[in-house]
Amino acid sequence: MTFTLNFIGQQCVILHRSGETVNMLKRQLSVIGMTVTSQWEPLDLKLTPADVILVDADAGWPGILPWESGSPQIPLIALLASEAPSRIKWALELGASAIISKPVATSAVYPALVMAYHAHAVARQQAEAREILEERLRLRPMVMAAVKQLMSEANIDEAAAHRRLRQDAMQSRQTLEHAAATLLARGKGKAAI
Amino acid sequence: MHRLRLGILFATQGAFGAPGRDARRGAELAVMHLRDEGKLPFDIDLICAEPEGSSESHVDKVRLLLDQGCRQVFGTVTSQARKDVIPIIEKHDAQLWYVCPYEGFEANENVIYTGACPNQHLLPLFDTLLPRYGKRVYLTGANYIWGWEMNRLAREIVADAGGDIVGERCLPIEETEVSRLIAHVERARPDFILNNLIGPSSYAFLRSMRDLAGRNEHFNPQNCPVVSCDLTECELGDIGLGVADGQLSVASYFDSLNTPENLVFENRAPSDLKRSSFFATSYASVRMCVSAVLQAGTDDPAQIRNALNAKVHATVLGELQFDAATNHAGLPFHLGRVEGDSFTIVKSLPVIAADPYLTRSRQTRATGKKPKLRVVS
Repeated sequence: MTFTLNFIGQQCVILHRSGETVNMLKRQLSVIGMTVTSQWEPLDLKLTPADVILVDADAGWPGILPWESGSPQIPLIALLASEAPSRIKWALELGASAIISKPVATSAVYPALVMAYHAHAVARQQAEAREILEERLRLRPMVMAAVKQLMSEANIDEAAAHRRLRQDAMQSRQTLEHAAATLLARGKGKAAI
Repeated sequence: MHRLRLGILFATQGAFGAPGRDARRGAELAVMHLRDEGKLPFDIDLICAEPEGSSESHVDKVRLLLDQGCRQVFGTVTSQARKDVIPIIEKHDAQLWYVCPYEGFEANENVIYTGACPNQHLLPLFDTLLPRYGKRVYLTGANYIWGWEMNRLAREIVADAGGDIVGERCLPIEETEVSRLIAHVERARPDFILNNLIGPSSYAFLRSMRDLAGRNEHFNPQNCPVVSCDLTECELGDIGLGVADGQLSVASYFDSLNTPENLVFENRAPSDLKRSSFFATSYASVRMCVSAVLQAGTDDPAQIRNALNAKVHATVLGELQFDAATNHAGLPFHLGRVEGDSFTIVKSLPVIAADPYLTRSRQTRATGKKPKLRVVS
């Protein structure tokens, strides 16, 4: 990480019973520049917008978070005193990407935030990349069809047709698959290359 | 309360010996002055522990101070030692006063920070140097948190300003063999050099930089200064008087400050002593602590913090105020140029409120995306 992550103005929601843990977290998160609220009831992101959630993994129950399992919509940090595998599993299944141990050491807060934001950003990037690859895989037959069409129209071999399609994709700043789809949509004899 | 026990925990030997000795002397002088003034309803016991450099020794010695009834402890020179003793300070609900400049990214409720953090030293330093000397910067530092974090931040500031880091080299803490570093600096030909080396390693570097300037005019301090954020009067003798002349350093206090409070201080301090920022900050911290104890009627940390936050403190550094959210003191910025055994002040800024996590001092980077062009396949 080259650049200092900046948490100014970020909304943090702590899902934990009020008390010393919440007080310490609120103090430290405010120092870091965040706006903090806490509650001990299920969170509805429409009513209480949040950029990051800190959840009590010792006592949290299914339904306290606005998602069931898998990939969280926003970074999630587990607050944990217990070492019980079931509680760690609960936090992992909900997508926690950092842990702050209880009792809270103030020096644990900033590193946990940086790790959670980073892990969340990486997971999002990977999901986006996967989506793109899956779409390209789905559209692959179109590329084959477009190459065939170019071969017959211009009376060229497969390699030359593929080259033309690539050229067209780069000039129109599209993926190969989208260029192929465009070409097929234009219909026969209109391959403007 | 009949007696106030203050603990002193500065390593006075080893790589950080000089700053440690100055900080300890500053605390001792403060207690001496307070006794002379004769206004205290209690006596002060100053209990000095001498930690050797290691983590274990700092932990042992802070325990010893706490066992002897000190709830207010002044100390540690390095960030590493501070991080080592904080858990024990927290456990005993005591209070640590940290008087040295450091790299920020900390705000512990049981620590009072009177040393400057980067928005009080590095940021205003680069605001001054980049337009004056240029944007090609060389970074050097010791292999530990101060060197690493200061260099990382410097890299970020220079990148934001559209400049270049033309080289970066870190040395082990006690390393004094600097010839390869100097060769690298000479090849890189920067506009200025940020020096985060410490102790003997830094002295060796500054001596070799003078030799380099002797054979290559580009490296004269007026063209390409070596700048530090922790070089003070107490080390100029160890480097060799005159050797570092012309180089720059940042501090919240210099011996040569021409302010009314410093002139008063000068008259009361031993005349043979050049007063560094470590000395003056430690002196000011002990006085602020005692005045807070007087006001609160106890040395209980939470009540001391309330008393500290409630007022503006007239100190040898000027008027200081604490931020209740971070326990950091607002501090003035002075840029000094080494001349003999002292510094000539070349620029001063009024008190800057501390921003240890840089939440206010730096804008979030623009997120505008550049168009990505690539070969499709």
